[in-house]
Amino acid sequence: MADSSSPPEEPTQTSDSDMNANSLSETSIETIAQKVQDSLSLGKRHKFWETQPVGQFKDIGDTSLPGGPIEDPTPLSEVKQEPYNLPSVYEWTTCDLDSDEVCGEVFSLLSNNYVEDDENMFRFNYSKEFLRWALHPPGYYRSWHIGVRAKGSKKLVAFISGIPARIRVRNEVVKMAEINFLCVHKKLRSKRLAPVMIKEVTRRVHLENIWQAAYTAGVVLPTPITTCQYWHRSLNPKKLIDVGFSGLGARMTMSRTIKLYKLPESTVTPGFRKMEVRDIPAVTRLLRNYLSHYAVAPDFDEDDVQHWLLPTENVVDSYLVESPESHELTDFCSFYTLPSTILGNQNYSLLKAAYSYYNVSTRTPLLQLMNDALIVAKQRDYDVFNALDVMENGTFLKELKFGPGDGQLHYYLYNYRLNQALKPTELGLVLL
Amino acid sequence: MEEWRELTQSVIIGLIFSFLVAKLISVLMSFREDKLRLVRESDIPEEPNSLTTETSFAATERGNQSIYGEHKQPAHGEQKPLLEGIHAQEEDEDDDWEGVESTELDEAFSAATAFVATAASDRLSQKVSTDIQLQLYGLYKIATEGPCTVPQPSALKVSARAKWNAWQRLGAMPPEEAMQKYITIVTELYPTWASGSTSKKKEESGDNSSSAKGTMGPVFSSFVYEEHADHEIKMDAIHASAREGETTDLLKYIEDGVSVNLRDSEGRSPLHWAVDRGHVNNVELLIRKGADVNIQDDEGQTPLHYAALCDREAIAKLLVEHSAGLDIKDNDGNTPSDLCEPSWLWMRPCTN
Repeated sequence: MADSSSPPEEPTQTSDSDMNANSLSETSIETIAQKVQDSLSLGKRHKFWETQPVGQFKDIGDTSLPGGPIEDPTPLSEVKQEPYNLPSVYEWTTCDLDSDEVCGEVFSLLSNNYVEDDENMFRFNYSKEFLRWALHPPGYYRSWHIGVRAKGSKKLVAFISGIPARIRVRNEVVKMAEINFLCVHKKLRSKRLAPVMIKEVTRRVHLENIWQAAYTAGVVLPTPITTCQYWHRSLNPKKLIDVGFSGLGARMTMSRTIKLYKLPESTVTPGFRKMEVRDIPAVTRLLRNYLSHYAVAPDFDEDDVQHWLLPTENVVDSYLVESPESHELTDFCSFYTLPSTILGNQNYSLLKAAYSYYNVSTRTPLLQLMNDALIVAKQRDYDVFNALDVMENGTFLKELKFGPGDGQLHYYLYNYRLNQALKPTELGLVLL
Repeated sequence: MEEWRELTQSVIIGLIFSFLVAKLISVLMSFREDKLRLVRESDIPEEPNSLTTETSFAATERGNQSIYGEHKQPAHGEQKPLLEGIHAQEEDEDDDWEGVESTELDEAFSAATAFVATAASDRLSQKVSTDIQLQLYGLYKIATEGPCTVPQPSALKVSARAKWNAWQRLGAMPPEEAMQKYITIVTELYPTWASGSTSKKKEESGDNSSSAKGTMGPVFSSFVYEEHADHEIKMDAIHASAREGETTDLLKYIEDGVSVNLRDSEGRSPLHWAVDRGHVNNVELLIRKGADVNIQDDEGQTPLHYAALCDREAIAKLLVEHSAGLDIKDNDGNTPSDLCEPSWLWMRPCTN
């Protein structure tokens, strides 16, 4: 993170940053291999992951291994029937997010203990509505919303969740669990609860006869299917600078920065409007066709589109272009809302961020479509618009004044081997 | 000819082979070096005090006030409250952390396991018999997972079977007892292990803080690069002091005879810079020293344009009180009131 009090930088930084931006966007097997080597030479081993059916570091580049499931399913009767043991002072609980009380407990566990940036200036603050949306897709299993409570106080001290998803890997649609929201209370971090929680959610996924999973992480574990880069587009540069999300170089003025990121008051594409219920079939067609071009992507049906993409206030927004003449739906863009708590700033407490979700352009240039998405986000008072370099996002990032972020996101599959790592541009999957 | 080809082939193969060997050796060496460093680090005598001050200093710097706040149990682990106190102010109200918070035993146990994990890959481990290793394994499983409930592995898997037996044998031993026994065994084997625990602890806590983003889930990302000018800009010390809010320096430059309206390579005066960064004191000083409030930079913008763009209302009012022009247009044809927030009603009437 840039520090506004850092010494004056030389203007040569421009070329520097361009160069880096280029190298950042080309993630390949070599870079993953390099990271693996780095983490190995640090003496870091992944004792837990080495025991799991995941691509192992030692197998990188071994093309003789077959793609597909690493382990065959075991008969359901052989799946462990009782939960894994927790240290004696804790107990498992299943979290019913429909209950306001439980939803509030999960919300406050996450908002106080979930992911922070390296400098501990920001912490994700998923809203309750967002959590319900994220955890209640069609066909969800309540038993996959797993909490840990302290036996004495009944306090919720840890959480992990899975949701069912059909994910296409190359030519095969695989039923998977998407694992997310693994959070252990800050005061319990030394207790190594995470491995047992991962094992427990795996067990409960197996009980539903599902044997694969998808998840992301900020660190390199064995072994990423691809590594993506976060990019950010300032919408409210003054606030971003004031709270330390971005820095202001000594020779740059605030006023010029603000001018640089100014956006038109209203969208420019004729027929650009919010998605409605009646659009579900057309959007599903548009999206299915588009996502079929990616090596790994969700297999959405109309129910999924209704759940994941129909606009929900402060959770997910979707816009589309309806041709003014033919009334055909030609383009689509969406973003979800994930605010973060700003820690220790007197003037601001919440950073409002939009995250690019699924975008499809068939007639409107993607650049123009996403520029309209930025304009809408600005109108709605978002501070920043974030995007990964997945799908075709790389084609508009620089031109629309996104800057590279310090966060890399690694994507993983559990019990499924890809013969070859993907480029981010081959990935059509966005996990929340 | 044929001979030549064979010769070149064998030379090339030889080269590739020796390169691979060299690579392997360098990898092995780097492993060894890490080990050595670890050992050396643990040789350094424990200095909890210096560590404590460092941590508390870092925490204070970050602007988190109540470092010691709200921890009702100062007894355990000296560094702990400091490391965790960073977020003390927003911790939950209830102090019922009994059985929830890590106990001293937990801490010692996890330090011991961390020690074993590093020692096991070391040559030191040669002197530990398989029996003891199995015993440690069983205790570890009891402490972390409780009684053994997994099915017995097949007799063909000798080592898996032995491990299973070691775990199974301990029955329903309470985890606390298992931790205690584990620590006792480690202490018998390596009486000095605990003295190296400071460095271990440091690593551990590094692990923990990163485990916030270290395990699974999304990542919080922010900009890598600062906002910077797209070409070289030359400015003088007076501009820098105006920008940084260094009022004393600014006054000194003016008294030394530097022009109060000196322009940088973009035509900006010290007043532009002071307004841009929102330093009211500097703005007042510059006005008092006769700075031109309507001075325009190369883009035709006055300090009032800057105040409007950067949403600095108090400074804008101050400038207007000192007869800053409301209807000066910049090169894009905008007056300050075209650029200000809609909420600046006091500036509005002048637009027409």
